[in-house]
Amino acid sequence: MSSQFRPEPGSFRDPSGRVFHASGKVYRALDQRGLTDFRALESTGLLGALIGEGNVVATRLLAEEEASALDPPEGRAGILEHEAIPFLSYPFEWTFSMLRAAALLQLDILERALAAGLTLKDATPYNIQFRGARPVFIDVGSFQRLGAGEPWVGYRQFCRQFLYPLMMRAHLGIPFQPWLRGDPEGPSAADISAMMSGRDLLRSGVAMHVSLQARAERRFQGDAVRDDLRRAGFSTEMILANVRGLRKVVEGLAWEPPSSEWSEYAEDCQHVAAHRATKETFLRAAIDRVGPGRVLDLGANDGFFSRAAAESCEVVVAADADELVLDRLFESLAAAGSDRVQPLLVDLSNPSPRMGWRGQERSALAERARPDLVVAYAVIHHLVVGRSVPLAEVVGWLADFGCPVVLEWVGPEDPMARRLAANKRPEEIHLDYREWGLSPLVEEQFVVQREEPLPGGTRALLLLIPR
Amino acid sequence: MRFVLAYLDPGSGSLIVQVLLGGAAGVAVMMKTMGRRWFKRDEEPEPDSEQADPEALADSGDEGSIDRATNLPGDRA
Repeated sequence: MSSQFRPEPGSFRDPSGRVFHASGKVYRALDQRGLTDFRALESTGLLGALIGEGNVVATRLLAEEEASALDPPEGRAGILEHEAIPFLSYPFEWTFSMLRAAALLQLDILERALAAGLTLKDATPYNIQFRGARPVFIDVGSFQRLGAGEPWVGYRQFCRQFLYPLMMRAHLGIPFQPWLRGDPEGPSAADISAMMSGRDLLRSGVAMHVSLQARAERRFQGDAVRDDLRRAGFSTEMILANVRGLRKVVEGLAWEPPSSEWSEYAEDCQHVAAHRATKETFLRAAIDRVGPGRVLDLGANDGFFSRAAAESCEVVVAADADELVLDRLFESLAAAGSDRVQPLLVDLSNPSPRMGWRGQERSALAERARPDLVVAYAVIHHLVVGRSVPLAEVVGWLADFGCPVVLEWVGPEDPMARRLAANKRPEEIHLDYREWGLSPLVEEQFVVQREEPLPGGTRALLLLIPR
Repeated sequence: MRFVLAYLDPGSGSLIVQVLLGGAAGVAVMMKTMGRRWFKRDEEPEPDSEQADPEALADSGDEGSIDRATNLPGDRA
């Protein structure tokens, strides 16, 4: 294998094709079976239609001379080049509505594939990414020809990684993200069944997709049934009926809590409105100076500053730990067709680690983020007071991004900081925050290029450039 | 010809449930497969002759193959 190719650590399960990176581009090396499936997909016209709609990543089969010039790995029959998605995110970093949008895209593509005599060999949300607020299917290798009498192989995976997590949130009020982060396979039918009560059986899809499936899994574990189904006349129409039924179930799932800790932040806090215009002007000036392609907005809340940044940047990752706030942001961005601001659900004090096979299958958030500019408005006191992280640690963490930072300093005497510390004694707050202040720590790692105090005297905006 | 590759374990129970979720087209298939399986398990374990040999069935796709498979002579290997 050529050293020019860097295998994608998350792409190894499908024997028919593997994703590689080379020279900043994304390729997929196919074996003969994978190439035949791809040609079948291409010949139906479905691939061109899905790419044209923006529902599948732009993909092309390299001509022989192009493929040879890449010095590809041994044994490949064909090489695809895919459009690179600017920022990769994982399902446990999505909100309810994001996973729901991804589920509906998965079902839509499967239904159209079935109509074209094809199927999708798996059904995992890891095959879907977001371009801003638009879901896009990235695993072109998942399409394959559908054999006569074959069932939907990905049905169980669809339930575990899309349907049950959505049901957890919609019917039980339990966030699915901790589960998907802890167990990427998703909850089993038995797991979700154990969470539900008899009353939930009346909800759409629960009796069949949860209870009956849990029972059948227990009963028929290990039985070889695929050939039996084929001989008994299993047909594509039956998969289509299931897919259409699932779409109705997913469309009917809703999560609409009245409020959350941060959902009324912009309306309730006077300082937010008072400072908003100054902060926006400061951010726009910083963007003009830095010229970032990718902005990471930490503690994005309702996305006001993310949207402002997106006017002149390629992609803005709007990170926040409050699912409801981000879910509302996603819905509003999706309605506007935004493809630049991408909501990302993350607790900054516990960002996504490396996960999966050999601890490399899914990369850490820090490895994926690679921002050109970090915006940290009204976030520092939450980390230092709320999460008891020393100020020096927070500054070091900001410096690790290796890019300019637009920072809102919130001093210990600020009313919001004092509210966070209401049940703490002074000595329980880190000394560097209480007494030393920002300057000595920041000046070790950054040059303060601009500084602007905010009205009230306890806050200031800083543009920090790494030394 | 069988060209479908399943690198994913579809789960036996999840495959069987798909018959019930298959709408009108699933009813006939349900009669043939599910009813037999669902109720049979409460009885004694199936005799050897009921266990279809996947190798022997791999290339046979017609309706009659199930009878041929279950009546294969003992030395079919």
